[in-house]
Amino acid sequence: MMNRNAPPWRLMDAAERRRYWWGHWRMGIPALSTLLLVLVMTAPLVVPVPVFPQLALLGVFVWSIFQPGLMPPWVAFLVGLVADLLFAQPLGVNATLFASAAGVVRVLENRYGHHAYNFDWGMAAAMVIVFEVLTWQLMALAGKPVPLLPLGWQVLTSIAAYPLVAAYCARIQRRAFGPDRAR
Amino acid sequence: MDWTPAPRRSSAMRREQNLALVGAVVSGAVIAGGLVLLLVARVNPDGAARMRGVMLDLTTPVWSVVRAPFDGAGRAISWAGDYLGAVSRNRAMEAELAEAKADLQRAAADRRALASLRKLDKVRDPARRVVATARIVSATSGSVVRSAMIAAGRGDGVGPGLPVIGADGLIGRTIEAGALSARVLLLTDPGSRVPVVVTRTGEAALAVGRNTPNLVMQDRVGADVPLMVGDTLVTSGDGGVFPPGIPVGMIISIGEPPQIRTAASPVGAGYVLVEAAYLPLPVVDAPPALDAPVPIEARQGKASPAKPQS
Repeated sequence: MMNRNAPPWRLMDAAERRRYWWGHWRMGIPALSTLLLVLVMTAPLVVPVPVFPQLALLGVFVWSIFQPGLMPPWVAFLVGLVADLLFAQPLGVNATLFASAAGVVRVLENRYGHHAYNFDWGMAAAMVIVFEVLTWQLMALAGKPVPLLPLGWQVLTSIAAYPLVAAYCARIQRRAFGPDRAR
Repeated sequence: MDWTPAPRRSSAMRREQNLALVGAVVSGAVIAGGLVLLLVARVNPDGAARMRGVMLDLTTPVWSVVRAPFDGAGRAISWAGDYLGAVSRNRAMEAELAEAKADLQRAAADRRALASLRKLDKVRDPARRVVATARIVSATSGSVVRSAMIAAGRGDGVGPGLPVIGADGLIGRTIEAGALSARVLLLTDPGSRVPVVVTRTGEAALAVGRNTPNLVMQDRVGADVPLMVGDTLVTSGDGGVFPPGIPVGMIISIGEPPQIRTAASPVGAGYVLVEAAYLPLPVVDAPPALDAPVPIEARQGKASPAKPQS
C-alpha cells in the first residue's frame, strides 16, 4: 500500500516543498470553473420566470466526466453549498443534488464508459429533468414549497445550454490538462 | 521462477478496491450530510444568516461593476428617445397637467377635512421613514427563489424584513443583509405574501407569488363584491411590514384564483427605497414560567396591596 510516486520528502528543502505543493494548483481548476458558472447564474437577467439555465449542474456533470478524480461528490457538495448561499435557497438543496449528480455520473461512467457526445447530451437532459423534480421535492422538505411547472423553463434552457458548457469545460480541460502539459 | 509480478498486482488491486470503497462511503456520507442540512434548514430557516450576508457582499460589487457599461448604454438610448418624442409627449403632459391641477384642488380640500377629522378622533398614524435609497444590482432568474440584490446593507441601516418600494409600486421585502448589500424577496416568489386591499371595493386579500410573471389573489376577506378586470390593488398595511396605500398591481383576469399583474417590475426599477418596517411587532417578554406550586396565601398577598409590616 505504498505510493511509489511520492516525492523524496526528506531530501527536499522548504522552498522545494512549497513549489511541490503549489504545483498542484491545477487540481482546483474544475471546482473553480464550476464556481464561476454558479456566479454567472446570479447574473442580472430579470425575467419573472426561472429561465436561466442550470449552468452549475451542467458544470458538475461535465467535469465529473472529464476529470472524475477532481470532481468527486464532496467537491460537488461544496460547490452546491456556495450555490445555496448565493441563490437564497435553504442550505442543502443544491448541495445534496450536486453531490448526487457527481455520484450518479461516476456510476454511469463505470457502466457505460467511452460513449458519444450525443449520449452525454441525453444523459445531461435526463439529469436536469430529475434535478428539477428533486429540487421541487427538497424545497418542500425544507419548508419552502415552490410550484413545479415554472421550473420547466429552466429544463428547456439547460438542455439547450449543454453544448456551451461542454465547450467551455473542454477548452479549460485542453488548456490545463492537455497533452502538452506535463502533469 | 515467474512469481515476481503477481503479489504486486494483487496489492495494487486491493488498494484500488479499498479506495473505491472509501470513495463510496464518503459520497454516501456527503449526501446524507446534505439531507441533514436540509432538515436543519427546515427547523431553523434563519441559520447561516451571516454566511449568506458575506456571500452577498462578495457578489454584489461584481455585478454592479459588470453591469455599469450596460446601464450607461441604456441611459444613452433612453436619452435619445426622450429627445425624439419630446413634442408629442409635451402636449399629452399639458393635458394631463390640467386634469391633475383640478384633482389637486379637490384633494387639498379633502386633506384639510381629513386632518380635522383625525384631530377630533385622535388617530395616531405611524410615520413612514426611508432607511436607504439603493439601486437594484441583479435579480436571479437561475434559481427557484425569486430575489434581487440591492447595493445597501447593514452599514446603511438595512436589515431583514423591510419593505422595498420602487417608483411605480411595491418591489418586495428584504430577507438577508450583508454589510454592503441586501437581498430582496420579489413579489413573484412563491414565499411572498402581501396583504392587499382592492381600492374600488375595499376588499382585503393576499397577493401571493407563483414563480410566474403574475401574482394570484388568495384568502379574500369581506363583502363578496365581484372583481373587475382593471381593479387596482394597494397594500393594506396589515402585518406591519408594508405601509398602506402602495400600489401592488392590477387585476388582469377574474378567474379562480384572480390573476394580478404587478405594478412595478424590478427590470427597470433602477433605484428603490428601503423603508423602515411600518409597524414592527413589539417584542413582548414572556412571563416567567412557574413550575412550583404557589401557596394560596402568597398569591393573595401578591394580588392585594401589601400591608405595612412592623
